[in-house]
Amino acid sequence: MVNRRTFLKTTGVAAGAAALGFPAVLRAQPKEIKIGAVHPVTGPLAEIGQACRLGAQMAVDAVNAAGGIKSMGGARLELILADTENKPDVARAEAERVINAGAQIITGAFHSGQTAAMVPVAQQKRVPFLIDISAADPITLNVAESVKKGDQKVQYVYRNFPTTRIFGLRAVQFMTEVFREAKVSPKRVVLMYTNDLFGQTQARQFQAAVKEKNPGFEIVEAIPYPENATDLSTEVSRVKALKPDILAPVTRATTAILMLQELAKQRVELMGIISPGTPGLYEAGQIAQLKELIEYVMDCVPWPNYKNPRTQKVAEEYAKRSGGKNFDTNSGYSYEAILVMADVLERAKSTDPDAIVDAIKKTNLKDPLMVSGGPIVFNEVGDNPNASTAMVQILGQKPVVVWPKDAAAQKFVLPRPKA
Amino acid sequence: MDPTLIGQGLLNGLLFGGVYSLMAVGLTLIFGVMRVVNFAHGDMMVWGMYLAWLLATRAGVDPYAGFLVCAAALFVLGFAVQRALVDRILDAPHEMQILLMLGVALVLENAALVTFGPDPHRVRSALGLSTLWVGPIFVDVARLVTFAVAIALTFVLYLFLFRTDLGKAIRAAADNTYGALVIGIDVRRVYAVAFGIGAACVGAAGALVSAVLPFQPSAGLSASVTSFNIVIIGGMGSLLGAFLGGLLVSVAESLGAVFLAPSLKELVSFSLLILILLFRPAGLFGKGAA
Amino acid sequence: MRWAGLVGVLVLLALPPFLDSYVTTIFIFIFFYGFLGQAWNLVGGYAGQLSLGHAAFVGIGAYTAAMLSMKAGVTPWLGMFAGGALAAVLGAAIGYLGFRFRLRGFYFVLLTVAFAEVCRIVALNTEAIGGALGLYITFTGNPRQFQFQDNRSYYYIALALMLGATGIVTLIERRRFGAYLTAIREDETACEALGVNAFKYKLLAMIVSSFLTGIGGTFYAFYLFSLQPNTVFGIPLSVEIIIRPIIGGAGTVLGPILGSFILSPLAELSRFYFAKAGWSGAHLMVYGVLLIGVVLFVPQGAYPYLRRLFAGRPKA
Repeated sequence: MVNRRTFLKTTGVAAGAAALGFPAVLRAQPKEIKIGAVHPVTGPLAEIGQACRLGAQMAVDAVNAAGGIKSMGGARLELILADTENKPDVARAEAERVINAGAQIITGAFHSGQTAAMVPVAQQKRVPFLIDISAADPITLNVAESVKKGDQKVQYVYRNFPTTRIFGLRAVQFMTEVFREAKVSPKRVVLMYTNDLFGQTQARQFQAAVKEKNPGFEIVEAIPYPENATDLSTEVSRVKALKPDILAPVTRATTAILMLQELAKQRVELMGIISPGTPGLYEAGQIAQLKELIEYVMDCVPWPNYKNPRTQKVAEEYAKRSGGKNFDTNSGYSYEAILVMADVLERAKSTDPDAIVDAIKKTNLKDPLMVSGGPIVFNEVGDNPNASTAMVQILGQKPVVVWPKDAAAQKFVLPRPKA
Repeated sequence: MDPTLIGQGLLNGLLFGGVYSLMAVGLTLIFGVMRVVNFAHGDMMVWGMYLAWLLATRAGVDPYAGFLVCAAALFVLGFAVQRALVDRILDAPHEMQILLMLGVALVLENAALVTFGPDPHRVRSALGLSTLWVGPIFVDVARLVTFAVAIALTFVLYLFLFRTDLGKAIRAAADNTYGALVIGIDVRRVYAVAFGIGAACVGAAGALVSAVLPFQPSAGLSASVTSFNIVIIGGMGSLLGAFLGGLLVSVAESLGAVFLAPSLKELVSFSLLILILLFRPAGLFGKGAA
Repeated sequence: MRWAGLVGVLVLLALPPFLDSYVTTIFIFIFFYGFLGQAWNLVGGYAGQLSLGHAAFVGIGAYTAAMLSMKAGVTPWLGMFAGGALAAVLGAAIGYLGFRFRLRGFYFVLLTVAFAEVCRIVALNTEAIGGALGLYITFTGNPRQFQFQDNRSYYYIALALMLGATGIVTLIERRRFGAYLTAIREDETACEALGVNAFKYKLLAMIVSSFLTGIGGTFYAFYLFSLQPNTVFGIPLSVEIIIRPIIGGAGTVLGPILGSFILSPLAELSRFYFAKAGWSGAHLMVYGVLLIGVVLFVPQGAYPYLRRLFAGRPKA
C-alpha cells in the first residue's frame, strides 16, 4: 500500500492541504474508523503485548499522518486499546467491549488461545478480525471449514502471520541451505524446548519437518522443560552429555537467559545454536542482559525486512518511542496488520463488514515490511501463505537477517568461533 | 545412564536447594508462629530480586553483599504487612486469611509490573559465570556461594531463635500463644517480628538468586507454590524440616530432569507432596500430627 | 425475601433485549462465575472444606465435552454430563483421600492444589488431547453443538446454570444434609460424637460440587472455543472460582451470586479505566487492595453484612 510512490503522493496531498490552510480542514471533516487492538499487555506476556500495542499505535499514527483513508475522505484511524490479561475469558470480553465501543475491525491477540476466544465474537458480530500474531493452524482453518460446511456464511477471520507449519518447514529449509553455504555438515541436533503452548508446537512442527524433509541431520533427543523453570543446569548437563553439533532451543525470555548462562558455565561446545523459532533470543533487553553470551545465536523468526527502506525508518522511530527497543517480530507484525487494514479500507471504500471481507480476500500488497515469500495475499483458509520467517543471527550485539540470501543484511558466522 | 550426569544432577540440585531452603524457612517461621500461610511469599521474593537489581545497577553493589540490604527492606515490609493487615485477621477463618494474602500478592506483583515493567531482569555479578571443575563435574561458583550463604543465614536464624530473648519469645509464642501471653510476652510485637524475619528470609533468598535466575513480576506465584510444597514435605512449622525439605525437593527435581522428561519434573514434587499429605501430613521431619 | 428473589429472576429474564452485547457478555461472566462459585460454595462454604483445585473439574469437564464433540461427534448437550461425571469421579477421589486422611485447613488446600497441578502437567504432556497447544473448537453457531450465533442464548444458559445450582444448594441447605454440612464446618468432632458420619457428607458435598463444576467446563469450552491446560487447570482459575463466594459470603445461598455481581463488573471497570490511563497492571493492584479491604472490613462476606444492615435498621 504505502510504497514509495503513494507515500510521495500522500505527502504531496498533505502538503497541498496544509497550503490551503484552515478551510481545507473544515471541508474535509474526516470521520474516524475505529480499530480494536486486543493484546496481553499485563501478565506474563506483558512485554510482548506492549510491543504489539506500540507497533499498532505507530502504524495508526503513520497512516493518519499520511492523510488517513483517502478513498473515504481522509478518514482517520483510531485504536481502541484492550488487554487480555493473558486470559481467554478476558480476551472475549474485551473483544465485545471494543466492538461495542465502535470498533469496525479488530486485531490481536498474540496468544493463540486468546485469539481463538475472540474468533466467535468476530463471527457473531460480523466484525472483520485480522489476526496480527498467533501461529496455531486451527484458528483460521476451523472458521474456513465452518464456512465450507455452510454453518457460517462468511469468514470474518484472517491472519497475516506464518502458521506453525510454516515455522517448522522454513526452519529446516534455512538450516539446510545455511549448512550447505557454510560447507559444514552437522549430524546431531538436540532440541530443547519450553513445554508451553508455543514451545511444544514449535518443537513438534520442527520434528515433523525434519522427518518430512530428511535434511541430513537428525534430532537425537528432544528435551522439554517446564515453562516457568527456575533451573536448567541439569537439562544443560544432559545436552552436554549428548554431544550435539547443533542445539535447537525454543525458549521464553527468562529461560533463554538461564539456558545461555548454563551453556557458558558448563562450556558446552557447539557448532551452532539455531532455534527453529523462538522469542527470547533477539530482543534488545535480552541482548543487553546476555551480552557476549548471545553473540552468534541464530533464530528462525518472522522478522522485519531491513532491506526495505521503509522498514528502516519505522525501526528508527520505534527505537525512539520504545526507549531503545528493536523493531522485531511482534511490533513488526502488529504494525503491518494495521497497514494491511488501511490498504483494505482504501479499497473497500466502506466500513461495511462484507465489503471489508471482500477487500481482504483481494489483498495483494507488495513490498511488505516483514521478510516474506511474496506480496501479502490471503488464501482460501484466510492465511497469508507468503508470511515467512527469516534466519536472524546476533552479530555485533544486534539481530541481523542472515538468510534467505535476498533479505540478508550480513553474512552469517557458522561454525560459531570457539570462546 | 551416565554416572557423570547423575553426579552432576545431584550436585546441581543440592546447590540450588540452598535457595529453596531459605524460601521455605521464611514461610515455615511465619506459619509456625501465626498459623497464617503467606500466599504473597513468592511475590516478596520477587521484590527482593528487584531490590538487588536496583542496588546493583544504581549503586554498584554486588548482590552477594546487597542481599543484607534486601533482607532488611523485606523485614520492614513484612513487619508492616503484619501490623497493618495480618494482625487483624489472626482469628478469622482460613479462607479469609488466604484471600487477604492473595490480595497482598496481587498488589505486590502488579506494583512490580508498574514500577519495573514486564521485561525479564537479571543482575550481573562478578561471580555470575565463574565455575570450578572437579574432573568432569563442574561447580557453579555463584550457586556454591548462594548455598553457603543460605546455610549460614539459616544457622544465624537458628542461633537467634534459641539464644536470644526475642528469639525465645518467638518460639514460645509459636508453641503456645496463651502461655506466652501469661508469662508477659508482647505477643503482637513478637508476631510482627516473626513475619518480618520470614519476609527477610525470602527477600535474602531472592537477592541471592538474582544473579543466577532472571526474573519478571509474574514469577511470584510459582515461587509461592514451590515454597508451600517444601514446607509441607519438610513439615509445616519445622525449621529443620523446611531446610532439609528445600534440599530434598531441589535434588528430587534435578534428578527428575536427569531420568524423566524434564517437563515432568514438576510432577515429581507434586506427587511427592500428595504422598506426604496422605501418609505423613506432619511432614518428613516434622513432629506431631497435622 | 422470596418475592425479592422472584422479582430479581424476572428482571434478569427480561433484561437481554435492553442490553448491548458487551454488557451481555459481562452478565454472562457474572452468571458463569456465580455458577462456579455456587458449586464451590457447597463444599468450600457450607462444608468448610477449602478447595483451591476446582479448576481441575472445569478442565476435566471442558476437555471431556470438547473431545467427545470433536472426535466422536457427541453433542455437548450430552457431553456435559459425561464431563460432569468424570469431574465427579476426580472429586470423589480427592475427597476420599483428603477426608479419609483427615486433612484440614491449609493441608486440604494444598492437596486440592496438588491434584489440579498434576492434572495440568499431565494434560500439558498428553499429545492425544492437544498437549500445550490445547484444543481448538470450530465455531459453527449451531445450537445442537452448544453454539449460538446470538450472545443472548449464552446469557440464558449461563443464567439457567446459576439458578439451577442455586436451586440445588437451596434444597440441600433446607434438608438435613445441609444442616449436617454446616455443623461439620463448625465442629466436626462434636458432630461425629453425635453420630453424624462426617466423612460421608463431606464426600457427598464434594461429589455434587465437582459434578456441577464439571458441567460448567462444557460452557467454558463452548463459549471460549479453545482450551489450554494452563488456563483451564491453572491456579488462577481456581482463585477466580473461590474469590466470588468468599467476598459475597461463603456458606450462604446468595453469597456467590452477590460476590459475582460485585467482582465481575468491578474487574471490567477497573481494567477499562486504567487501560485508558495507560497504566498496565494498575487495575490488578486495585483489585488486590479491594480484596484486602473486604477481608478487613466485611470479613463475613457482603451478603451477611447487608442482611445485618437491613435487619438492623428497623430496630435503630
